[in-house]
Amino acid sequence: MDAKTLIDTNKDEILRQWIEAVYSLYPLETTGFVRTSSDPFGNPVGDMTKQAAAAIYNAITGEDTAVDTVKAALDRFVKLRAAQRANPSQGLGVFYLMKPILRKLLLPQLAKDDLETYLGVESRLDSLTLLAFDMYASARETLADLRITEIRNQHAQLTRWAQKHGVISTSQAR
Amino acid sequence: MAKLPTPQQLIADRPAFPDKHWLNVKSEFTPGSFCYPAKKDTMELLHMPNPHEWDPAAEDWGLPENWERILCDAFADRLEKHRSLKLFMDICVRCGACADKCHFFLGTNDPKNMPVLRAELLRSLYRRDHTMLGKLLGKTVGARAWDKSVVKELFYYAYQCTECRRCSLFCPYGIDTAEITMIVRELLHEVGLGTHWIMDPVKNCSFTGNHLGIKPHSFVEIVEMLADDCEIVTGIRPKTPFNQKNAEILFITPSGDVFADPGIYTFMGYLLLFHELDLNYTLSTYASEGGNFGSFTSFNMAKKLNAKMYAEAERLNVKWILGGECGHMWRVLNQYMDTYNGPTPVNMVKPVSPITGTEFTNAVSTKMVHVAEFTADLIYNNKLNLDPCRNDHIITTFHDSCNPSRGMGLLDEPRYVLKAVCNNFVEMPENTIREQTFCCGAGSGLNTEEIMELRMRAGMPRGNALRYVQQNHDVNHMACICAIDRATLPPLANYWAPGVTVSGLHELVANALVMKGEGKRTLDLRQEDLPNVEPDEAADTGEEQ
Repeated sequence: MDAKTLIDTNKDEILRQWIEAVYSLYPLETTGFVRTSSDPFGNPVGDMTKQAAAAIYNAITGEDTAVDTVKAALDRFVKLRAAQRANPSQGLGVFYLMKPILRKLLLPQLAKDDLETYLGVESRLDSLTLLAFDMYASARETLADLRITEIRNQHAQLTRWAQKHGVISTSQAR
Repeated sequence: MAKLPTPQQLIADRPAFPDKHWLNVKSEFTPGSFCYPAKKDTMELLHMPNPHEWDPAAEDWGLPENWERILCDAFADRLEKHRSLKLFMDICVRCGACADKCHFFLGTNDPKNMPVLRAELLRSLYRRDHTMLGKLLGKTVGARAWDKSVVKELFYYAYQCTECRRCSLFCPYGIDTAEITMIVRELLHEVGLGTHWIMDPVKNCSFTGNHLGIKPHSFVEIVEMLADDCEIVTGIRPKTPFNQKNAEILFITPSGDVFADPGIYTFMGYLLLFHELDLNYTLSTYASEGGNFGSFTSFNMAKKLNAKMYAEAERLNVKWILGGECGHMWRVLNQYMDTYNGPTPVNMVKPVSPITGTEFTNAVSTKMVHVAEFTADLIYNNKLNLDPCRNDHIITTFHDSCNPSRGMGLLDEPRYVLKAVCNNFVEMPENTIREQTFCCGAGSGLNTEEIMELRMRAGMPRGNALRYVQQNHDVNHMACICAIDRATLPPLANYWAPGVTVSGLHELVANALVMKGEGKRTLDLRQEDLPNVEPDEAADTGEEQ
């Protein structure tokens, strides 16, 4: 079977397996809940994961490869991964959970002369992970900035008062 | 040669079934997951039990030698004192209705953040010492013994609960997990465990009346500066009455609105509104704090810090108290103040609006009225000249702060005010507002920067709903009626829905308020250009300034 048809045929299974792989990173007691509730506000982690799965699929199959739309579709999920308790490799490693799924589902049935199409899919997954890396790093920088801004804002008025009375200089106030 | 781990190994796929029972998984105290501990000298000054230096990340927390006896006795004492606690320990059937309602659980996916399991941490200890089955059958019926890792676990999860009470809304028995968290925090204080972010304001409040420990003269000067700012914007310098005996109304608000950005603009809103009404009111340098971090410490500490309100109302001989936009302050006032500090001083009477004549019969006992109710009544009686078009550049939504909404049912008054001063109002999804509102993720003394990452997780459900209305309805603003929200929602919005600004309700009221004798408004209270002012008019006024 040619790669394009093969991927399309297996779309639902690819998405299902990747979503399951992501859910299985959470404790067992939690997985049942994220799997069963479909309310986007009552189960935001589930909703974000499903949205990301669809975005990854669209990007790696070449259906939607515009950088801006890909990034917009992945934004919530990457921010979640950046805020949840994990180191960066764990945060972004979820994208690579797609590779064994693709290889298992697609490679055995792939026509020998169509390997290039399949490799294109994996390459796009690599690009997507790099884009996600930028977003992840940016989210972590935002977190650090938020701490600094908050420290400054907590005493904003006190700082103005201290400046007015010459207790601190204008440059210190910044 | 060692092999590189595969991606699957790197992200540590968990086994199909956990190798440990959930209750036996130990808490990991990594940076960013816990608040800094309270300082020993702070605790000593407050006469807290067993003050000591300790580090949450260290193995040894330096607990007093007889820590287990202290905790067991303290727990037994609380069970005796609070019948509700005993009831909460006994009646939970672990139906799980609360499990997925907690924002901490939704954001962290940590099973122990399910309210049912968070409470189970204490309930398991209760079973061992206070139930016959637990005494006889121990672990088989979910009982367990105290040990030091249990103390650590209690600390870890008692400070991953913002006491928002969303879970209790869904509990068929009405179990208030927030009160369980309060008790756990009380117990931990018995062995000298508290957090700096809570205990430092408690100390400051105890000595000077407000969270930052600002002395009276400086407090007045800072408020004067805000009045100066009001004059720049409106051409009118509002009066700033302090410690005026025999004023009709004492106004008490969280000091965060005097010191912190963007709360200060809400405070300026109060000053302008009261000036316009020519309200016979006074501020106080003693009762200079509506917030009560004592309520995050213990019931006794909450009572002590709250006492200054009535004490000052008596000293200044006011008729009633008007309270500003605050969250937990209103939880204390609405639920506990009567029993803590009542009855009110004899000089206080049933609150009546001097402008409209409305009697606030809901506040007949505490004699304290919420400013949103007060302003809603003014608008309802057509006493304010408002120009909501000044806020036309804003498409706002409203965040129901947990304590005023779930703690006292203040749902419609702020919306009524907001819709009167803003033409563009959009609600967030139904299961994220009103009684079902999601917490900002940093209430109950968790609004400290060292756990910013944890706050972004806990606030994610709120951020997610905000992002939804931002993307689907072009919302660019979120109003709220809580000083902690005004501090915690801006970073949350910056992370999950960048571009959305946050303000208190009365900042928007003052922006829309057409005052007698004011200059042409070209700036909002933040001294940013009002985009809806005609350019030529703006230029004219600019020259005047």
